[in-house]
Amino acid sequence: MRRLVRLTFLASVFLFIPDPANAAEEVSVPEILELGAELAGEEVTVEGELVGDYGFRDNGWMWTQLNGDAYVQRPIREGGQALGANVGIAVRVPVELTEALDPPGRYRNRGPVVRVTGVWKYHDSTRPGESYLQVQSLTVTEPGRQLNEEVNWTAVILGALLLVGAGVIALLTRPKDWQRPTFRC
Amino acid sequence: MLIRPVTEDFKVIGFYMGRIFLVVAAASLLPLTWAGLARESNPFGSFLLMTGVFALLGVIGVRLAPRESELDWSHGMVVVALTWLIVPMIGAIPLFLSGHFGRPLDALFDAMSGLTTTGLSLLSDVDHVASSLNFWRHFLQFLGGQGIILAALTIFAGTGGITLYIGEARDERILPSVTSTARFIWAVSVVHLIFGVTSLGLVGWQVLGFDLDRSLFHGLMVFFAGFDTGGFSPQSTSIGYYHSAIFETVTALLMVAGAMSFGLHYALWRGPRRSVFANLETRTILSTFGFTMVLTILGLAATGLFVDVAGLTRQGFFQVLSAHTGTGFSTVPPAELAKWGGLAFGGVAIAMALGGMGSSTAGGVKSLRIGLTIKAVVNQIKQVLLPEHALVGTAYHQSGRKHLTPALIQSVMVISLLYVALYLLGAGIGMAYGIPLQEALFESVSASANVGLSVGVTDPSMPILLELVYMLQMWAGRLEFVAVFSMLGFVYAWVRGK
Repeated sequence: MRRLVRLTFLASVFLFIPDPANAAEEVSVPEILELGAELAGEEVTVEGELVGDYGFRDNGWMWTQLNGDAYVQRPIREGGQALGANVGIAVRVPVELTEALDPPGRYRNRGPVVRVTGVWKYHDSTRPGESYLQVQSLTVTEPGRQLNEEVNWTAVILGALLLVGAGVIALLTRPKDWQRPTFRC
Repeated sequence: MLIRPVTEDFKVIGFYMGRIFLVVAAASLLPLTWAGLARESNPFGSFLLMTGVFALLGVIGVRLAPRESELDWSHGMVVVALTWLIVPMIGAIPLFLSGHFGRPLDALFDAMSGLTTTGLSLLSDVDHVASSLNFWRHFLQFLGGQGIILAALTIFAGTGGITLYIGEARDERILPSVTSTARFIWAVSVVHLIFGVTSLGLVGWQVLGFDLDRSLFHGLMVFFAGFDTGGFSPQSTSIGYYHSAIFETVTALLMVAGAMSFGLHYALWRGPRRSVFANLETRTILSTFGFTMVLTILGLAATGLFVDVAGLTRQGFFQVLSAHTGTGFSTVPPAELAKWGGLAFGGVAIAMALGGMGSSTAGGVKSLRIGLTIKAVVNQIKQVLLPEHALVGTAYHQSGRKHLTPALIQSVMVISLLYVALYLLGAGIGMAYGIPLQEALFESVSASANVGLSVGVTDPSMPILLELVYMLQMWAGRLEFVAVFSMLGFVYAWVRGK
């Protein structure tokens, strides 16, 4: 009986010990940018798309940008609306966490959507004035994928016609030598 | 009596505009080629369409050639003002067709912002924009910063004229002819291009760990926008994207080079270099930069946003330099910049309003006008304090000894007051839409002085009237009013003249 009580007690203790990933406050990228100083030094969890470049620096860190805007779920190339500027923060990820990452988001490419937990470094004194999320754990929630690009045939045909038209006009209306104007400036 | 323009006047204007359009058509082959090489088929079509429009308008314009005519002052100014209106309209075609703009006016806004080297943007999702479209946005800043007219003058040697040159807000003839001056300006730019792209590319590749091709891409984009004090950037977080003090330093050097007058570049290249620091303009810009920097640092210290002096100085320095040179790059997000209240906000706003040097790619009132205004005020005070018949010296040094004449003072004051009026116009309209004074004034100054720093007012959801006003401010501010007023006068004469 005493053993059963002890086991029940231990189990309940383990239930209430927070998992490091769960202990972090769940926030969005716009909230991080808005709250800024209030979250300084806090452990947060945030989700978004990795975009731009993966900058592998000598000191074992990879720098990139994490966007948390409307285009993560609905890219413009897939019919998403043009709703304004991107909303992103810098993330500094240990190189060992980056091995399974697809290429970052760019034109024709939606980057991997990741869920990261890390410490929000606001105006970090070790990197004068910079703000970024120092990542401790990273999970890919959606792999990167190619985005469709459709040729705008109307623009191609119209453009070609205009160029041909310009050439034809230039040839047909070529002035004779005696017709060339003289200009003084 | 107002004389109504006749057909021959329109032919002269059309002819010169046609030539300029042909130059821009040739320039637009670059993004077209880029799109082809990068296999970006969607932008390729829209660049082809844009090139076709420029080419057709160019050919039609050139074929309007009058039999014989002089390009007088009025014609030249109208050519400049109209060119700076029509080129953004056609240049906006690929931007709009990209799908990254909600309405055509927004694409025109970005094209105008690019060409006038302002840097305010309504582009949505810049992080997924095609590389060729990014090239076009930045190349527009390069074209605008150098001057489209200047490009035309360089190619069509001998047929441009001083009127076109002055109309594009350049009043400094460094070499005897306008064509040789234009070629010198291009030579300076090419040297900086090589330096800028190589340095930024190397930093990107070796320090930031980017791929080599992406490093060169970032280097080229940041060069275009930095040297021509434009402020667009290939990523949404501007220069803050790079998180590198070295990258910021090289960018800062390019911004300074862009804000220097080409006369100063000439003096630094061919000497005498000592006289550079005796120039009123150099002394003024160093003083105003120091003043706005101190103001910003004190203001930032008071806000308590930064925990250390190094961070405060680094961020304050970059933002003030970007504002004073009229570039508009930033290393902090707009939401954070809006929190820089009080002195810091004032410091950055004043730096934007003052601007860079005359005959440079920077906007704003310009340092020489500020220096001359201060000198005129000081002389006036001296005149009051000294005995009635005492003579007050009017000499000042600016590429040689010059004198402050009443006509010069008048001209300086008029342009300076027009800038102030332009700043207030946008701020007033912004406030009428319920935007707080501080933010409305900041954004208005940023548009008029062709800077591009934003506290978030410039957004696709902004009122159309405000958007139009900002476009007007960018256009008038870039051309320093003269060409704009000449064009309005020409239109008035056409309507009411006899």
